[in-house]
Amino acid sequence: MRLRLSDRQVGILFMLPLLVTAAAFIVWPVAEAIRLAFYRYNPLRPDDLIWVGLDNFERILDDPLFWDSFRQALVWTGWSILFQTVLGVGLALLLHTALPGIAIFRGLLLFPYIVPTVVIALNWRWIFNSEIGIVNHALLRLGVISDNIAWLSTPDMAMASAILLNVWKYTPFVIICVLARLQTIPTELYDAAKVDGAGAVRRFLDITLPMLKEVLVVVIVFRTIWTFNKFEEIYLLTRGGPGTSTFNLAVYAFEEGMANLRLGVAAATGVIMIALLLAGTIVYVRVSGFGREEKPA
Amino acid sequence: MSAREIAGRTALYAVLAAVTVLVCFPLIWAFFTSMKPKEEIFLWPPTLWPETWTLENYRALLEGRDAYFQAGAASGTAVPPSAFFLDWFVNSLIVTTGTTVISTAVSTLAAYSLTRFRFPGQRAVPYLALVGYMVPSIIFVFPMFLVMVEFRLTDTLLSLILGYVCITLPFCMWLMWAFFRGVPIEIEEAALVDGASRLRVFWEIVLPTAWPGIVAAAIFTLIVSWNDYLFGRVFMNSMENLPLTVGVMHFFDGTHVDWGLMMASSVLMTVPMALLFMLLQRHLVAGFGAGAVKG
Amino acid sequence: MDVRLERLSKSFGANPVLKSLDLTFPERRFVTLLGPSGCGKTTLLRLIAGLERASEGAIWFGDRRVDHLAPGERNIAMVFQSYALYPTMDVAANIGYGLRVRGIPRAERGEKVGAVARVLEIAHLLARKPRALSGGQRQRVALGRAMVRKPDIFLMDEPLSNLDAKLRATMRGELKRFHLDLETTSIYVTHDQLEAMTMSDLIAVMDQGVVQQYGTPEEVYDRPANLFVAGFIGSPPMNFAEVEVASDAGAPVLRLAGRTIPVPPQFDLAAAPRRLTLGIRPQDVRIAAPGDAGAIPGTVWMTELIGSERLIEVEIAPRLRITAEVKSEVRAALNAPAAVAFETTKLHLFDPATGLALRRRA
Repeated sequence: MRLRLSDRQVGILFMLPLLVTAAAFIVWPVAEAIRLAFYRYNPLRPDDLIWVGLDNFERILDDPLFWDSFRQALVWTGWSILFQTVLGVGLALLLHTALPGIAIFRGLLLFPYIVPTVVIALNWRWIFNSEIGIVNHALLRLGVISDNIAWLSTPDMAMASAILLNVWKYTPFVIICVLARLQTIPTELYDAAKVDGAGAVRRFLDITLPMLKEVLVVVIVFRTIWTFNKFEEIYLLTRGGPGTSTFNLAVYAFEEGMANLRLGVAAATGVIMIALLLAGTIVYVRVSGFGREEKPA
Repeated sequence: MSAREIAGRTALYAVLAAVTVLVCFPLIWAFFTSMKPKEEIFLWPPTLWPETWTLENYRALLEGRDAYFQAGAASGTAVPPSAFFLDWFVNSLIVTTGTTVISTAVSTLAAYSLTRFRFPGQRAVPYLALVGYMVPSIIFVFPMFLVMVEFRLTDTLLSLILGYVCITLPFCMWLMWAFFRGVPIEIEEAALVDGASRLRVFWEIVLPTAWPGIVAAAIFTLIVSWNDYLFGRVFMNSMENLPLTVGVMHFFDGTHVDWGLMMASSVLMTVPMALLFMLLQRHLVAGFGAGAVKG
Repeated sequence: MDVRLERLSKSFGANPVLKSLDLTFPERRFVTLLGPSGCGKTTLLRLIAGLERASEGAIWFGDRRVDHLAPGERNIAMVFQSYALYPTMDVAANIGYGLRVRGIPRAERGEKVGAVARVLEIAHLLARKPRALSGGQRQRVALGRAMVRKPDIFLMDEPLSNLDAKLRATMRGELKRFHLDLETTSIYVTHDQLEAMTMSDLIAVMDQGVVQQYGTPEEVYDRPANLFVAGFIGSPPMNFAEVEVASDAGAPVLRLAGRTIPVPPQFDLAAAPRRLTLGIRPQDVRIAAPGDAGAIPGTVWMTELIGSERLIEVEIAPRLRITAEVKSEVRAALNAPAAVAFETTKLHLFDPATGLALRRRA
């Protein structure tokens, strides 16, 4: 006899794995994260779970390091997004031209996006090494600098190196999104503009840029949210240092949880990050109109 | 072609070439460094092109722990981290494969179900997936660790697989949902009229058509799980159970940093991703174009 | 096998799409469901196919009740608007899929697919994938998929709408021929009245989830049951005008734009309301000299040449224009005086309150 399931049974059967996985490994941890924020908890003494109410939050908001991390996260996010967007759009426009061999450039320029962060951090530490790094050597040879720069051990330079790493790795993401959009702009629009007598600059300003606006807003919001919360890009390169000069909220939460074993404080930091994230998501939904044109399922 | 066009093209190529060299330089430099013997690495000024080519760094990484002991190391002396490289590589392969299979399978089934059948609250799922996609791993990692403690899974590869499934599932879900929403339903209906059962339709008609979407979701999952550091750092503690990303950071443990070894492991970690990238570049662009900038 | 619908209703949420339909599709007939988009015709076809579940009512194939059966258990074949060919299978696999699902052995399958492909003249395409086919070829593959199965009922959902005009004309003939060869009951959905007229044995004109009229093409064209059918069928569309029933020396007459028109012999106005809607097809209107008795004078508002015929629109009262379809030799200058005369026996009369056609004498 052949197994013949009704549509309803198939529907439920197909949903089950998602429901089970999501319940056990997404919903539960998130609930746990929020619950922990109101407790004092040290993983080495798992039986001591003490309700502390809003103490963790108070402690965080009184901690100057939290505010430093917050400010540094803004600096890190702002510069990263600015460079990524400008470079991303510029390179996407270059890569959109129909030249022979452009596919090779396209491939090579998108590649950093999939290089593991650990690899980039290792390479960065090597090329920006203050004594034997190739970057200092090149700059000395070119006469740009007269002394070796301590790239990773002075606060400003460490932040700059981290931003550079982030720009290097994630500009391809902007390129991918912008390229995808560019490819959907009908060429007839450009033909029409040419007929109307618009030059190359006008065509860029009046056609390309307005058409890119929507995708750029979405990309910027997405990248802002992600960059603000990035952990590995900073931690692997500088461990938040020198001192705490490159801490952001993610590094702060990690250090609270991992080094200081204050999981409650780490969780409370996480809750604050989620609140910021939700604010960002609302902005995204507003500007993109996600789901508005959705048809009934 | 006019002289002006030729000049324009040349300029364009020059700019592209310059940018490409700058972008690729860190990786090229890593490769050159990895092929140099120790003495040459510390030369100042550095040699751009290796004067002596050597595979010594790669041999040290790839010969594994057994070779280290056979070489006559006294038991009791600390095994250097590089001897674990092969273990880490295998761990990362297992974890990446496991995550990819589970994440794509679960999301494909659920997304199909969501776009073809009626459920209470089904319209909320893509929104939730989108929010889940934006939640950073740092928020998941500690509570997830406690869940793993609960299931007695810490320090196992399975805990890593489950962790990565949880951070990749929302985006895979969203990608597949967007994909299935765009697949015309008439083809499935034609198969139903032809007499195939729903399961058969899914297996013979839907899956082959859904391949591009599945590949895009799989690539995303592969990249995330191969590249992650945070979960491995928090969940794992035995040297031989670490994933590559966490393992190689142990090369900084000693007082003296062996840059040749470090760059060789950089190269070896990048190779699988590079192969994947070359094979599937088109899907990557298509998938992220569709996924990241809404359907 | 005939198909019977009993009090069949379907609603999506609170939105009724089909309202208690009773309809019989006789065996081996070609029946068209004709109507504007949103009238429920496609939903009705999908109910018959089993792709949707009815909210109420029953569907019978012969003496077998089928509304609880899955589509695959109803022994139907269906051609979709987009053809819905399986993109990953070649033409042979596409045609043979229904047989494979039913466990027909490979050799027998190959034979049947080959035979069908020869009839449809697509034997040379069997190894191709659907995307390498032209529109007409895809159409034939979709037909082949239906043909190979020897279905009881053959369903078609606007199968010609994706073809260009010329191919559509040829395919109309082929489809009709195909129906005759297949010897099944065919149900065909379209919004194109020309397709409905040329191919059907019976037409069910639908609007707002209700069958407005069910009859042969001649019946539907010559004796439309209500204003909707009258306006929907025929090209260019029927002229409508409000008329009053008056009395002229004891005999009832119709008054239109200050003129009187004799009451058509097919109608008995004794019990009719005082105000009626008159309908006349452009083909039944003549252009007369302005002074002609019985003609209604006016001025020429627009003329259009449509090949061997010419359409002349005459304004007989402010904003009341009557279109006449005449031979192209008939000339009319814009804004010149002209008059229209109606073929009395071809007049239609409707009750404006209900929209229904007045009863005709037997």
